[in-house]
Amino acid sequence: MLNMIPTEAASVPLVQEGTVGGNLVLHWLEGIAPEGLPGWLLPLVTAHVSVGIVVGMISLIAMSSVWLERKVSGHIQCRYGPMYAGGWHGWAQTIADGVKLLTKEDMVPLGADRPLFMMAPAIVLGAIFGAFVAMPLSPDFYFADLNLGLFFVLGMSALTTIGVVMSGWASNSKWSLYGSMREAAQVVAYEIPFGLSLLVPLIVAGTFNMREASAGQADFLGMGWYIFKNPFMVPAAIIFFIAMLAETKRAPFDLPEAESELVAGFLTEYSGIRWSFFFMEEYAAMFLMCLVGSVFFFGGFESPFTHFAGEWFGTGTFVYNVVAALTLITKSMFGVILMMWIRWTLPRVRIDQVMTMGYKYLTPLALLCVLGAAVWEAIF
Amino acid sequence: MVQATESTNTTGVGDYFKNIWDALATTVAGMKITGRYFFQKPITIQYPDEVMPIPDRYRGIHYLEQDKCIECHACERACPIDCIEMEAVRHGKELEWISFTVDYQKCMFCELCVYPCPADCIHMGTEFAFVTEDRSELNLDLLSYQGMSRDARIRMKEAAIKKAEKEAAKKAKAEAKAKAEADKAAEGGAATAGEGAQGADDAKADDAGEEPTDG
Repeated sequence: MLNMIPTEAASVPLVQEGTVGGNLVLHWLEGIAPEGLPGWLLPLVTAHVSVGIVVGMISLIAMSSVWLERKVSGHIQCRYGPMYAGGWHGWAQTIADGVKLLTKEDMVPLGADRPLFMMAPAIVLGAIFGAFVAMPLSPDFYFADLNLGLFFVLGMSALTTIGVVMSGWASNSKWSLYGSMREAAQVVAYEIPFGLSLLVPLIVAGTFNMREASAGQADFLGMGWYIFKNPFMVPAAIIFFIAMLAETKRAPFDLPEAESELVAGFLTEYSGIRWSFFFMEEYAAMFLMCLVGSVFFFGGFESPFTHFAGEWFGTGTFVYNVVAALTLITKSMFGVILMMWIRWTLPRVRIDQVMTMGYKYLTPLALLCVLGAAVWEAIF
Repeated sequence: MVQATESTNTTGVGDYFKNIWDALATTVAGMKITGRYFFQKPITIQYPDEVMPIPDRYRGIHYLEQDKCIECHACERACPIDCIEMEAVRHGKELEWISFTVDYQKCMFCELCVYPCPADCIHMGTEFAFVTEDRSELNLDLLSYQGMSRDARIRMKEAAIKKAEKEAAKKAKAEAKAKAEADKAAEGGAATAGEGAQGADDAKADDAGEEPTDG
């Protein structure tokens, strides 16, 4: 168990001995760097470039998810959604919104705790971006190959709650405080079934390393997904999905910003770019949770496409990695669309219903699933 | 999910599993419905690009047939809120319009101006979009252009040409008659006097034939 201690700071990508690949940026930089540079320079540059790539990619995905959400909600309600900005089906709507939000005044309420108020969105966004650092996209496309990758991702994504509670307290508004307290209660309640439901694939996979967990599903032409490998995986996947909705405060669990009761929950006092940070965090968290879900339930970057790309072009080639990354992103986007579909289908549940569901239903069922999966793995 | 909370007051194990089943089944049922809507064609009409069909009897901005209007002020008098004003100058039978304005800040689209029109020249149109930067721009002039209409100008020109032709014909006949009289005077015979009278009759008949078309 000693080698399962997490590697230190994730912002500096670590190349681990004995694993394939390493940080691609570092490899590339080592190839072109002149001789005689100080040893600390390349990892530092690598860290900055890697974080830049992660932030850029996640921002892009979050922005396109916002557009997608508006299109999905529109079509579910028999309308079109954005149609004008940018020409083709309003693809530039989010960019236009972003420019508008950027140019808005950065307002801080008079009675607010100014430093905390201004820090909260940064913490929320930073935590979720930090979580992405440990997410592998393909066997060779990753930034930090952590042995306890899942722990790191879950820890970082839970850190967003701190930012939300902070924003609610610092806003000096009853709506914000109610919203953030609900967020805290909800996240505490749902971390349990969330973690327990993830234990089931962990029992099957035998590793916390997300890249290895993904690669462990390559059998049966890339269709040896963990969800097919154990009868307790299906209920675990459903529990995971419900808990994921609550963790990312998506409807029907969007009580922290229940706009019909609390004005906008913890977002009430925020405007402009700080508000959009929270919004971006929501979509980034959706995508992150869907990535985790597809890695541990639905094959990760393994699929027949990846399998045949590996056969034709050879594993480890650039084409194979691109196919693998596209596979994982496509799976996650399916999850994101499913979350949107649920959001525009179900009404918001009450806070007592949320608590009942978390403690009385999901937690015992998740425990049963863990037990059953463990027994199944021990027997077969 | 609603059932899930109601179970807080019940203790049956059967209820517990029924709640789970209900939550899943109702969610799936709801998602079926929204999924069906998702693939249905949207019913939105993209307004500035597409317009909804407007019924024939829609009461929008007035439409004036300027050529038929006889400036009788019947609509002006019929208007209950006095938002119609008109002004024209007469050129014989043709009207030279100066203005025919309807103040759409006041107009309530009651259609009462349409019924009394003797020439049936003012109608309610289908145009309804009023977007202006200034309220004064809502006082619309229903004449598409100032002054006389194109048709009226053509009619006036045609009438002038005909009048000129008639006068030319008259002049020619008068000359012919004068010539004939001069010839008669030169010959001095009683028989030629009859011919002269005949020519005068012809000229008269021509005049009478042209007169109805004159105007």
